[in-house]
Amino acid sequence: MTTREGLVYGVGALRAAARGDRMVWAVHRAALAHGIVPVVPVAAIAEAYRTEARGDRLEELLSGAEVEELDDEGARRAGELAARADTADLAAVITAQVAARRNCAVVASRQAALRTAAGLMGHDLIVYAV
Amino acid sequence: MVTKRSVSLADEVAREVEAAALEDGVSFSAWLSGAAERQLRVRQGLRGVAAFESEAGALTAEEIAAGEALVARLLSGVSGMASRVRRR
Repeated sequence: MTTREGLVYGVGALRAAARGDRMVWAVHRAALAHGIVPVVPVAAIAEAYRTEARGDRLEELLSGAEVEELDDEGARRAGELAARADTADLAAVITAQVAARRNCAVVASRQAALRTAAGLMGHDLIVYAV
Repeated sequence: MVTKRSVSLADEVAREVEAAALEDGVSFSAWLSGAAERQLRVRQGLRGVAAFESEAGALTAEEIAAGEALVARLLSGVSGMASRVRRR
């Protein structure tokens, strides 16, 4: 069993927070109380704002998060991994990449794409499935 | 843009920051700036949690404990599934 150094929020975590999932908010509070600032990939943010009406709650959550941006090299790697994983779910693939690179556990809902991408990277995904 | 400030640190803290900055491959100033930024983010985040609670109701002691336990499990390398904590 390998310990993790932080948390990454995928689209599912953001959606759950926007919908008022109290467990996600309790997890967020606990992380912050321990000085852990969760990481959120920009792709997950875009996808969450696409589908969720409660932008105010997303803003509240993201005020206590580190947004990980994507440069051209990162975008290329994400696209290649998505192709190998045979998925169009780029947000999930990028979430898995961030989790692997930063040795973080994931709070998310898209199990299949996340696990496939993590597996292709040889990363043991630790996830809280919302 | 960078603002220069003169700050005083306890000797021991300064030594530890110096060692940590060296280990992380950044300057003393950059390490301190990163730590301050992280602390500010935590403060802002807890204000965000408070804003959620003011609208949706305060997290109960049971919910807070469940969140703490889940974070501890995830950081120790154990996956988890969603479960609902009963609201009082």
